Amino acid sequence: MGKARVVVVRSEKVWTSAGDPDPAVLARMFSRGFDLLEAGSDGRTAAAAALFRPDDRIGIKVNTIGGRAISTRPETALALAGWLSSNGFPEKNLFVWDRTTRELRGAGYIPAAGRTGVRVFGTDTDGVGYGPDLVSHRSVGSMFSKIQTELTTASISLAILKDHGMAGVTAGMKNYFGAIHNPNKYHDSNCDPYVAEVFDAPPVKSRHRLTILDALVVQFHKGPSYHARWAAKHGGLVFGRDPVAVDAVGWALIEKLRAAAGLPTLRDEGRAPGYLRTASALGLGEDDLSAIETIEETVA
Amino acid sequence: MNRRSFFERAAGAGLVLSAGLPQLGRRLSAAAAAPNLSRVEARYYVKLPDREVECRLCPRLCRLGDKERGYCGVRENDGGTYYTLVYGKVCSLNVDPIEKKPFFHVLPGTTALSLATAGCNVNCKFCQNWEIAQVRPEQVEAYDLAPQDAADKAVTAGCPSIAFTYTEPTVYFEYMYDTALRAKRRGLKSVVVTSGHINRDPLADLLGVVDAVKVDLKGFSEDFYSQYVRGQLKPVLETIRTVAKSKVWLEIVALIIPTLNDRPDLIRQMCRWIREEAGDRVPVHFTRFQPMYLIKNLPPTPVSTLEAARQVGLEEGLRFVYVGNVPGHEGENTFCPNCGQKVIARTGYEVEAVRLKKGKCATCGTPIPGLWA
Repeated sequence: MGKARVVVVRSEKVWTSAGDPDPAVLARMFSRGFDLLEAGSDGRTAAAAALFRPDDRIGIKVNTIGGRAISTRPETALALAGWLSSNGFPEKNLFVWDRTTRELRGAGYIPAAGRTGVRVFGTDTDGVGYGPDLVSHRSVGSMFSKIQTELTTASISLAILKDHGMAGVTAGMKNYFGAIHNPNKYHDSNCDPYVAEVFDAPPVKSRHRLTILDALVVQFHKGPSYHARWAAKHGGLVFGRDPVAVDAVGWALIEKLRAAAGLPTLRDEGRAPGYLRTASALGLGEDDLSAIETIEETVA
Repeated sequence: MNRRSFFERAAGAGLVLSAGLPQLGRRLSAAAAAPNLSRVEARYYVKLPDREVECRLCPRLCRLGDKERGYCGVRENDGGTYYTLVYGKVCSLNVDPIEKKPFFHVLPGTTALSLATAGCNVNCKFCQNWEIAQVRPEQVEAYDLAPQDAADKAVTAGCPSIAFTYTEPTVYFEYMYDTALRAKRRGLKSVVVTSGHINRDPLADLLGVVDAVKVDLKGFSEDFYSQYVRGQLKPVLETIRTVAKSKVWLEIVALIIPTLNDRPDLIRQMCRWIREEAGDRVPVHFTRFQPMYLIKNLPPTPVSTLEAARQVGLEEGLRFVYVGNVPGHEGENTFCPNCGQKVIARTGYEVEAVRLKKGKCATCGTPIPGLWA
C-alpha cells in the first residue's frame, strides 16, 4: 500500500467582490482536487467510480453549528453535489445533511426534502431522527442519525476546518459527532478517544468514503465559534480518502496559521488533538505527516 | 422502544396513581416544530473573554465557546451568556410512592409528584433512565410546567412532596430551586434524587430550600467512577458530607453491580466511611442491578450479594440498612435498632404498616430518625 494521499487545492480567486465564494471557481477546485486525488484513474468519471458505486446514495455530512460565518459553506456543498451529479450520480441520491434543519438554515442552506433534486435536511426532520438502536462501540454508546444508518450507503465528511477549545481541531472525523444523539458526552480529555471511536463505529466506518475540508475560511484560534480576529481567508479545500491523514494535514495548517499569528501550538496549550494518534492506532489512517503524500496546487 | 416512556415503564402503582398526567418522556424521532427549549439565564457560571463561559454548577467546570453546550447537554452558551434550556420543560411527570425514589424515612406511605427534565452531568453505563437522561432536550417530548404549577399540581394530586428525580436534578438546578421554593410556600416538602455531582455553592443554596436528598453512591473507587460513571468519587463524598452536616435529611443508595463494584472489602470501606462521615443514622440502600443501557452482559445482582452487603453495613454500625429492588425481601423493612421490632413494614413500594408514635418506635420508644410528618 502506498502513502496516504492528501490534496490541498487553493484559489485566491474563490472570493467574489461581494465576499462570497464564487461557484465557478469552487467547481474548478473540486474538479482539480478529485483529479489529483485519484491520479491514475482514466478521466473524471473514472475518478468518481473509484470512490462510489453508481447506485450509491451519497450522504454529504456538513458541519453547520457555527452559523453563516464558520460552517461548511452551502456554496461548497452545492459545488460538491454538482461535481457528483455531473459525474453520473443522480441528484435524488445526494443528501446534504446535518443534525438540525435549524442549524442548516442558520448557515445559509435552503432545506429541501423533495423526491427530486439534491436533498438538504437535518436529522430532526419529521420522520427521520436517531436510532432506534443504541450502538455500543468501545467507550461510545450512541444512537446514530438515520440519515447515516438508513438513507446513506456512502458518506462524505464535508467538514469545516477550525480550532476547537476542547478537541484542539475539529475537522473531518469530528464532523461525525453531528451524526450522534449525544456529542456533549464526548468532549472530555480533548475528545480522545471519542472522535476516533465514533468514527470507528460501524455506522460511520462502513460508509465513509471521503473527507473534504472546507478551508475557505479557517478559524485558527478560539474556535469553534467565529472570531474575525483569528479567522484566515485561506481559500482552500483539502481532499483525502484517509480520514486521519486529512485531519492531520488540517491540523498542520492550523498550526501554520497560529505560528504566523504568533500563537503557541495546540500542544503548548494542552489541547493537541490526540484523537488522531488514537485513530491511527485503531487502524483508521495515517497521522504522521512524514508518511503522508501531500499534493498542493493553486487553481486560477 | 420508539415510544417507550418512563411513564409507560413505571411500576404498576405509579402508573395508576399518575392517571390524568400527561404521558411524557417519549423520544422524539423528529421535531416538526421548533424545539421546546427555555432561554433562562443559568446561575453559577462566569463570563470569560471572547464570548466564552465557565459553568460552575458541577465539578466538570465546562468551559464553553459560543453556541456550545455543557456535558449535560441542557445548558448552552449563546453569545457569552449561559442559558438553561430546560427551565420548566418537564419530560417525565408521575405520581410515585415516595418509597420508589427510594426514601424510606420520609413520609412513608405517601406519594410524591415526581418530575424531571432531560439531561445528566454524568454518563453511567448502567443508567436506568438513559432515554431521558442521556439525551438532549430536543430529543424528548417535554411539557411546560412552571414552578408554581408544579406545586399546585402536587396539591391537587394529593402529594405532600415533590421529587426531583429520574434524570439528574443538578442540571435543571434553576427550575428545581424555584419549584422547591413554591412548594415550601404551599406546605409541601421537596426531595432530591442525585448523583451528588454538584459544587459547594449551588449545593449550599439548594439545601436551603429542600427537605431531603438521596445520593447515589455508585461505587467506592475513583477508578469505578472514571470508567463506569464518567464522573468522580471525591465530589460525591463531599456532597454526602455536606448534606449530612445540614438539617436536610439524607439517604444513600448503592447500586451493586456483579463483578464491577461488589467487592466485599470496598463495600466495607464504604459503610465505614458513611458511618464516620455521615453518621450511623443515615439509611443505606443496597439495590439490585438490572442489565440495561451499555451494560447488558452482566446478570442481575444475586440477592445473596445484597444480603451480604447489608450484613456488612450492619456489622459496621449502620443502623438502617436496606435491600432494594427485591420486592418482598425482609431487608425492605425498617427495624428498631433498639428492640428489633419492625416499625415500618414494606413490600415493594407498598407500605403495609407504620408502627411509629411521633417518630418513635411504638414498642420501646426509641427515636427513629427521619421526616415523619
